[in-house]
Amino acid sequence: MEAFRPYTGIRVLDLTYNLGRYATRLFGDLGAEVVRVEPPEGLPDRRRAEQPGRNSPDYGFSFFNASKRSVVLDLAAAAGRETFATMARDAHIVFLERGAPLADEIAWVREQAPQAVVTIVSPYGLGGPWEGAAASDLVLQAAGGIAWMTGRDGEPPLRLPVDQSVMITSVYAAVATAMCLFDAETGGTGHVVDVSAQECIAHSLQNALQVWDLEQRVSHRAGEGTRDASEDIYACKDGKVFLASPPTLGISWKQLLAWMGETSHPSLEEFGKERWLDRRWRQTAEAKALFRPLFEAFIGQYTRDELLAEALKRKVVMAPVARITDVLGDRQLAYRKYFIQMDDPRFERPVQFPGAPYKMSEPVWATSPAPALGDRG
Amino acid sequence: MRPDFLRGIRFADFTWAGAGPFGTKVFADFGAEILKVESMTRPDPVRRGVPYKDGIAGINRSGYFASRNTGKKSVAINLKEPDGLELARALVAQSDVVSNNFGPGAMERLGLGYDDLKKIKPDIIYLAMPMYGEDGPFSSLLGVGMTISAVTGLMWMTAYGPNDPVGPGTHYPDHAANPYHAAFAVLAALRYRRHTGRGMKIDLSQIESTANFVGPALVEAAASGREPPQTGNRSREHAPHNVFRCQGDDAWVAIAVEGDAEWLALAGAMGRQDLAGRADLRSAAGRLAAVAELEAAVGAWTAERNPVEVAGLLQQAGVAAARVASSRDLIEEDPQLAARGYWQTLDHPEIGPALFTSPPYAIDGERVELKRQPLFGEHTHEILTGVLGLSEERVKELNDRGILG
Repeated sequence: MEAFRPYTGIRVLDLTYNLGRYATRLFGDLGAEVVRVEPPEGLPDRRRAEQPGRNSPDYGFSFFNASKRSVVLDLAAAAGRETFATMARDAHIVFLERGAPLADEIAWVREQAPQAVVTIVSPYGLGGPWEGAAASDLVLQAAGGIAWMTGRDGEPPLRLPVDQSVMITSVYAAVATAMCLFDAETGGTGHVVDVSAQECIAHSLQNALQVWDLEQRVSHRAGEGTRDASEDIYACKDGKVFLASPPTLGISWKQLLAWMGETSHPSLEEFGKERWLDRRWRQTAEAKALFRPLFEAFIGQYTRDELLAEALKRKVVMAPVARITDVLGDRQLAYRKYFIQMDDPRFERPVQFPGAPYKMSEPVWATSPAPALGDRG
Repeated sequence: MRPDFLRGIRFADFTWAGAGPFGTKVFADFGAEILKVESMTRPDPVRRGVPYKDGIAGINRSGYFASRNTGKKSVAINLKEPDGLELARALVAQSDVVSNNFGPGAMERLGLGYDDLKKIKPDIIYLAMPMYGEDGPFSSLLGVGMTISAVTGLMWMTAYGPNDPVGPGTHYPDHAANPYHAAFAVLAALRYRRHTGRGMKIDLSQIESTANFVGPALVEAAASGREPPQTGNRSREHAPHNVFRCQGDDAWVAIAVEGDAEWLALAGAMGRQDLAGRADLRSAAGRLAAVAELEAAVGAWTAERNPVEVAGLLQQAGVAAARVASSRDLIEEDPQLAARGYWQTLDHPEIGPALFTSPPYAIDGERVELKRQPLFGEHTHEILTGVLGLSEERVKELNDRGILG
């Protein structure tokens, strides 16, 4: 018998295709039986991934649907609904998403599975004037307030990359669902969880909402008046590094000056001045404009690897700005065996694939390739 | 509703700053007892983080702290004193979960590492959240939230265009990926313990956790051997798809066309039948080839309107669009958040009434009602006499010796 994993014995009927599909994957990786319930032509993400003429794999499909199975049910037909009702009777979680089958029939789903947690994810939640409004990753990041906070002064707001609306919504949906499951297993009754992507994003704005409420200031994407002159991206010999060296942060600033001193770098003359100990002045545009050329003159002689070694040795808060391909070669991630090999038939060969987001001392995390349509595993 | 879904579950919570306390807050909101162990010798830096009510600083006045610590109990213990550490260990013995987000080795140096605590409480669930993991060549690298985005590629990919990374600011990913992966892992461990009787250690490297948030890009780079493009607000498959300037100061609207029907609807809403009629723009590929021309046309149209008007017109036409909302816009003008009852006001002895966001979901049609954040040390007496069963005399003696503060 297979060893017990955290969600062993839990069956998830999964009708998500975008905002919720990372949530169901998290359950699958920890032992739940996650079954994508797909119409004969597949859920929308499969239709998109497998559309004729597409000349490269949809990498998101493989990532989000790992650890899942697939059954085909025509929920527009009586037979399909009957099969769903049978499956729902011993399901613990039903995951719905606006735009996929059954999203408009929560009451019927609840009748079939009163013991289950029924979670529905949607761009704006159930109810309210925007309940049915069209949405996308970019639009949700705008509506949730996070695009406003990202970017440079004088330039447009900027969205976060790689579908972060999906990631944010999914982790909130997964946690709320797991909370409700914990209760359902104790008390024997199910719950309905109505997750709004806009609200999830608005819940992830650091302290911006409190800054407006308590001090009537709007947190701005330039970080003007909040971020230190030394907190930014700088060019070095072979790329870019991130530095954070305000005097308030541990010994980072002191160590940076000591390092410049050791190498007798001329930039030290300016940074040794009294004003660089003034926290408020350091947040001004003037300080920022002064800091960059002097600091870049210093690090221009080093590569990213050399700077990382110095950061480790000297306790300076500094790290390379990694490209995605750099992350694949990160020595720390390699040491920790973070990446796994995924043998997904959609790829020509097994590929390096992100591993567990958390390491558990018990051997409970595992994953498998995303299913073909109707692949019951 | 005040859910008690986690009734009977107790945390000895040593997390501080942003990500750690955000991850344990959700348990407090669902009825677990979260004992926030803190000390004036090294207070949670977020207690000293802006904003403050009326701009006046104070250990109990931070709105940042408030937003991360609703419903918790504050137990003030000086961990630099042996008797303080003994109290901490006694609390662990009465807890189900121990959580911290210190650097590698810090808890071990206090004698509060997993191996030590397992001896006190064999089935303890132990959550550690060091930045780069507990071991390995870079585990001692010092960092802040933005370091995590630098190392994971998130900073590189957050760019207006090729080779021009801007990165998110301090607002991301600290307040999503790591707290919620952590919370999910703890919930999984609780179910595991329920069925097996065994606890476990969760070693959540914040960099590994965040790397999953760029998972599709990592898979693409690994499978194709190529660096995924930095697309900014644009789409690789569709156009127009961007943020456009509107009438007003720093006013913007996001518009995303992701299909032929939406394109025709957008052109119609703009009154541009000439564009709607053009054969070369009928396919996604054709529109992508004309991206500069289309963005100029949309930008000229939005520049004469305010963002709420543009978003409203386009939503009615079935096109994905929204005002790029600031914090103020969300609080004062967003009709959707208001209609769903997203905002809660909690009263507080020092701050007075202040605004909070509800957990971003409704459960059984209701909002999760929050309880306010604790004053520093507010529950020390209650927990020491109640949970630990110490006598009044003993508590007074510890207090007089400066152990409780």
